[in-house]
Amino acid sequence: MLEKINFTINGDSVTLEVDPEWMLIDVIREMLDLTGTKRGCDNATCGTCVVVVNGRAIKSCNTPVKKAAGCEILTVEGLSQGRILHPVQKAIAESGAVQCGFCIPGIVMEIYALLEKNPNASHQEIFNALNKHLCRCTGYEPIRDGALMAQKLVQQRVQ
Amino acid sequence: MGFQYIGKSYIRPDAISKVTGKAIYLDDIRLPGMLYTAILRPEIAHARILSIDVTQAENMPGVVKIVTGKGCTFRYGDNIRDLQPMAIEKVRYIGEPVAAVIAKTSMQAQAALTAIHVVYDPLPVYLDARHAMQPGAELIHAENGDYWHLPTLQPEKGTNIANVYHMQKGRGEQGFAEAEVMVEGEFNYPLGSCAAIEPHGSIVWFKEDNTLEVWSSSICPFIIREELAHSYGVPVSDVRVHIPEIGGCFGYKSDITVEQTIAWIASFVPGRPVKWVATREEDFTSTLLGHGIRVHMKIGAKKNGKLVAIKSTVYHSGGAYADSAVNVTIASTHNGTGPYEFEHCDMTGYTVYTNHAPVGAYRGYGHPEAQFATERLMNMLARKLGMDSFKLREMNYLREGKVNGLGEKMWKSHGDITKCAEIIKKTVFEKPKPAEDKNFFYGRGFAAVMKSPKGAPFSTKGCYMKMNLDGSVSVVMAGAEVGQGLRSVVCQVTGEALKIAPERVRVYTEIDTQYSPYEWQTIGSMFTTQGGRAIIRAADKLIAILKKTAAQVLKTDEDYLDYDGEFVFLKNDPDIRVPVTDLARGYITSDGITIGELVQSVSDARLPRYSNPDSNGQGSMGVSYTFGAQAAEIRIEKKTGKIFIDHFASAFDVGQVINPLQIRGSVMGGVLMAVGATLYEKVEFDEMGRVKNPHYYDYHLPTYKDAPRQSVEFVETPDAVGPFGARGIGEHSVIGPAPAILNAIYDALGVDFCEIPVRPEQIKHVLDQRQERRKC
Repeated sequence: MLEKINFTINGDSVTLEVDPEWMLIDVIREMLDLTGTKRGCDNATCGTCVVVVNGRAIKSCNTPVKKAAGCEILTVEGLSQGRILHPVQKAIAESGAVQCGFCIPGIVMEIYALLEKNPNASHQEIFNALNKHLCRCTGYEPIRDGALMAQKLVQQRVQ
Repeated sequence: MGFQYIGKSYIRPDAISKVTGKAIYLDDIRLPGMLYTAILRPEIAHARILSIDVTQAENMPGVVKIVTGKGCTFRYGDNIRDLQPMAIEKVRYIGEPVAAVIAKTSMQAQAALTAIHVVYDPLPVYLDARHAMQPGAELIHAENGDYWHLPTLQPEKGTNIANVYHMQKGRGEQGFAEAEVMVEGEFNYPLGSCAAIEPHGSIVWFKEDNTLEVWSSSICPFIIREELAHSYGVPVSDVRVHIPEIGGCFGYKSDITVEQTIAWIASFVPGRPVKWVATREEDFTSTLLGHGIRVHMKIGAKKNGKLVAIKSTVYHSGGAYADSAVNVTIASTHNGTGPYEFEHCDMTGYTVYTNHAPVGAYRGYGHPEAQFATERLMNMLARKLGMDSFKLREMNYLREGKVNGLGEKMWKSHGDITKCAEIIKKTVFEKPKPAEDKNFFYGRGFAAVMKSPKGAPFSTKGCYMKMNLDGSVSVVMAGAEVGQGLRSVVCQVTGEALKIAPERVRVYTEIDTQYSPYEWQTIGSMFTTQGGRAIIRAADKLIAILKKTAAQVLKTDEDYLDYDGEFVFLKNDPDIRVPVTDLARGYITSDGITIGELVQSVSDARLPRYSNPDSNGQGSMGVSYTFGAQAAEIRIEKKTGKIFIDHFASAFDVGQVINPLQIRGSVMGGVLMAVGATLYEKVEFDEMGRVKNPHYYDYHLPTYKDAPRQSVEFVETPDAVGPFGARGIGEHSVIGPAPAILNAIYDALGVDFCEIPVRPEQIKHVLDQRQERRKC
């Protein structure tokens, strides 16, 4: 049974007919072709599917799409303004955090949500956020460096 | 050395596309008319198939076609042609494709799988090489020995032994007669999964014009092309393989794996592309596994510590099909000497058919598993000799003039392991170890390591290079970017070779066998070495073309000319010059007549004098080596048995660092991967051969909080083959962690572990037993 659903995604208001059993990731990737959000597992462990819903980082692979009704969704495609990268993207690109890149969209969205909500998040809060994501390439140090660099850039912007 | 662009950190060419979500991976590809497939896997790992009933599934919503293995007459494989795209009469492992549904959506395909009914007649399940190779064991392949295989392989007909490799140096086992002290042990590196965050996937499209187009998350497009052409009887040039961005490989996306299965399925719907992407569970159960290597090793030495002889037997649980395992076994066998010289070697490796997913490459390719044994035994030997373990190793390192097990003489340009060991000694062992306290035991452990690539006679890497009208340069190669950062290497090496800024070099993104030059496959930490050499050769040719045309323009001879990236000029008067921008398309003279050829070049490079093994199992089979040393500082919690790695240090002689930021990231990533293998990761099976932990939540990959603080240093003894002296480093950092951590556990507790992963409950058990004994 298809149901009509409406939400805003990356600033665009969309109305879709969806199977309410679908997860948010299915709609984002398969119906809206926003393929920046990745699928690495099916049980909310790897974190690469993270998107931001009403300002909060959530795993789109275990969020039923109906929960997103009326929400504001942001995916990794919605962060940069043309060629101007969001500070989190810029920092992650420059810190050496990117190797294969498959975990990166989720990590970018996680740090984005944390820092946009609280630019002065403690290191522990940042590390707790990173601990929700699996990366098989880097050993995490360059990702931590990128997150801390991103925080500085966000704080500078706020000032 | 005064390089302009080598040895500096540049942002990766693919960083922006990856942080903006615009990089296209396999599952992001959408093609017109694309169908989706889901694959049925058995409930039992080894069984005869009695019947498959698909009638109910055929009538499910969205179903286009149900496919089984019936009618498939070919086998495939690069080393042993023992693989088949789908099970026919029997299943040999839990993840084997038994049937597939092609449907309009992947959800419809998945839903219809449950409506396929298969009846099995179970057979004995073997999950360990030692059991499967017993006389009288049920044959996993009755055809073993009859399959086509490389002439260098020796299957044992009528057994489950797919290959026996033996290497002898000196007098082999008889060499132990000269030994005064011996140590012996058995060490196990269990099955693990590369578990890249991007699961495997493929798209195959049989076209109406009898050509094939393929996309795959793979690092071997040319092997896929050749294998599919062979299986479907079409010219190799009629198979076009694309490789998009790859979300991590670590080994298991090498060799042909899932592509033949998806091709078989797609061949039933010609004209329609068919996509398959593994679920995480399938990625664990149905694609290549790693390790599964048990090594029994004996080392003999003189009383003064001089190593004399080594004997080892490698029992490799190769999985249901041995095509991808045989070379891992061979590499594991002859690299079991570790970075030491032994006068006498007797080393045997068995690749054995077992009832789990085929084993293939895993970062390190047999080296971590074998040197886990060597490096643990070296510490045991030092204890038995009452000698300092650093001194013992130092006496025996493979250095200039020494001869390794394969009979290859070591050159100075192979690097300086002594220096690496000294760095680690200083970083980790010079300060006093913390004393045991109320909550923790403390320990430190060391390991020295070496790795060669496992090549093949035809393992060359091609390079096509063109200079554009504005003097910028485009480079096309077929090295697969899996995250290791080879695109940066291409830009920097090309920049250095052509004396232009790396920003002026545009590196290829996807690989497409229709345009890309040949490359065997991107494995063995060989891209920098071989690919870099190919770039230098192409750059030299490019400069030669520039000079040839410029000689005509400047009315002189080519050898009087020099080149600086912007101009070709007369050596003795640089003012007499022509800009490269005037030469790129040939030089247009004032009257419009154009002279000279397009500034473009093609080249390739392979390892010099790489050979097959001789009758002793020896030969020029390593050629390129990278040596290093690693150490762990650990803390063991008394209450829980939990091991904390407080610091991990690595030093490698990489010849020349190309990109400091990237190389550090690569080493740290490798270390953490091996920390995972040492403390957490193991693919577990039940007695039916079902994988018990095929998910990230029960197969624990190290997370941020598990990551140790790391020190990473490099020695730079220039290499003779690689570009500007650089050597391979992609895999090496995974070799040392297991032995270093287990040596540290001994240092902390005085207990020898010989098998990984070492989990808190095992440590706790040891501590509790000790407590018991104290009470008595």
